[in-house]
Amino acid sequence: MSEKDSPYRTPSDRPVTIRADRLSKIYGQFAALHDVSFEVRKGTVAAFLGPNGAGKSTTMKILTGFSSPTSGRAEVLGIDPSDADTRIELARRLGYLPESGPLYRDMTPQESLEFVASIRKLDGSAKRIDDVVSRCAIGEVLHKPIDKLSKGFRQRVGMAQALLHDPEVLILDEPTSGLDPLQIREVRALIRELGQEKTILLSTHILQEVEAVADDVVFVYNGKIVFAGSKDELLESGSIEDRFYDLTEGKKQTNTKKGAA
Amino acid sequence: MMGIDLGVVSAVFRKDMRQYLGNPTGYVFLTLFIATTAAAAFLQDGFFARNLADLAELNAMMPAILMFFVPAITMGAWAEERRGGTDELLLTMPVRDVEVVLGKYLGVLGMYAISLAFSLSNVGVLMYLGDPDTGLMASTYLGYLLMGALFCAIGLVASMLTKNATVAFILGALGCAGLVFAGTQPWASGLLGAALVGAAAALTTFALTNKGSAAGIGGLVGGLAATFAWLVAGRGSETATETETATEAGAEAATEVGADALRDGNSFADLFDALSVTDHVASFGEGVVRLGDVLYFAGGIAVLLYLASFLLGRRHW
Repeated sequence: MSEKDSPYRTPSDRPVTIRADRLSKIYGQFAALHDVSFEVRKGTVAAFLGPNGAGKSTTMKILTGFSSPTSGRAEVLGIDPSDADTRIELARRLGYLPESGPLYRDMTPQESLEFVASIRKLDGSAKRIDDVVSRCAIGEVLHKPIDKLSKGFRQRVGMAQALLHDPEVLILDEPTSGLDPLQIREVRALIRELGQEKTILLSTHILQEVEAVADDVVFVYNGKIVFAGSKDELLESGSIEDRFYDLTEGKKQTNTKKGAA
Repeated sequence: MMGIDLGVVSAVFRKDMRQYLGNPTGYVFLTLFIATTAAAAFLQDGFFARNLADLAELNAMMPAILMFFVPAITMGAWAEERRGGTDELLLTMPVRDVEVVLGKYLGVLGMYAISLAFSLSNVGVLMYLGDPDTGLMASTYLGYLLMGALFCAIGLVASMLTKNATVAFILGALGCAGLVFAGTQPWASGLLGAALVGAAAALTTFALTNKGSAAGIGGLVGGLAATFAWLVAGRGSETATETETATEAGAEAATEVGADALRDGNSFADLFDALSVTDHVASFGEGVVRLGDVLYFAGGIAVLLYLASFLLGRRHW
């Protein structure tokens, strides 16, 4: 299947910001990703949906340049993230929240943000820090060790770090995992607000999240794309929950039948 | 590869220094280091018996002390980043691998340099007891600094190999021990040689095939071949050149070959005697700074830091 007749194409005339072109990642004998292709267009919020272990984080690590694909090509803002030299330029324009929001736990949020600002060499870093602190509502914990913060605050510190340089593209790996309902609501509101001006790819296995924030959906299962299109398209043929089971359990059954035959 | 951004190096360095000095472990470490070096220098019969204001007793012990202390500084340097997932945060910012490696290296080296500066108290004791030679003290401490700097690079490589800080400590200490014992013990030179040939074989295989599993097999084969060269062939060539009787008794000797290789005069092990850190640091303790010794340390550090940035790229495999 060539790129042109790929069915996985968002029906939109906006330029493509994130492109995965037949990405595969193989660890030893295990294929974490198999021929994954999709596009995210400028200014959209795309949900990268799939059960745990489907290959979402692997894809995000490739898109952010942390890891490289075994084959295939990724492109974000027209830049290949696995090219060591151009990746630097991409990193300046990309914000990334890795899975489970890793942070330097012995720092305070203030120190952590200052560290990111110094690595990124941001002008007027004090003002930028003020800005993300109020945006992510972490003012009250700014000088407490991150180790002592609740998971909700830690996740928001991670968001603040990802937003500090005002990136054009945000890649968020399970931004609401482990949060309580109130915090989830706040983070989703923040994502919707950011989605007005930025391109966002966020991974999730929570169906409500897709309904709440996404314009487009990329559905990955067992390392393969099973659906990519707009949210409305996904919902055309029934509830999102039914579609989820069709695309995962349903697949499994056909696979088993194939295996038996 | 383009130039190195010193701003990034410095940001990583400052973060790590703050981490080392911002928690109690750093100070426990400092105190232990001062106490251990002082004990090694002065709580020895030889020091008072010789009646000389120098650090000869400490010089003899320093390689052994550093082979445990330095890996204790370096063990968490990268292993902790990987365990906490912060490596992903750091390496997806606008940084190059080599800048991160340099920042990390300067961080551990900075912590070691601070410890060493505090241990200058030992020189203070000498000045109180007698009149130590300033030049000798300077060269002795330069030797300590270079030896520690080499061990820091070994420890950093060890920390890159695992997520587990304890394993990183053990690997680091083993790596340092290889250099400390090489040249003083024939078995150590042989072991170090076999390990180095194995590692070189693994890297070469990786460069050729680009596969982690093949590199493992290549390393194993290289290591075994080197062990063979050391235990069997090394002994054999020596037998041939030295005595004819030994050749005649070859059949009997073959059974004892392994044991013989552990004694002196093994051609394979001799090759690696030159890597002995103990030999290279010795002249510093006598007040002599040799260019060859300085190059040995500088070269070793450069090779190890290159290896560290190569290992950092492993995440792409």
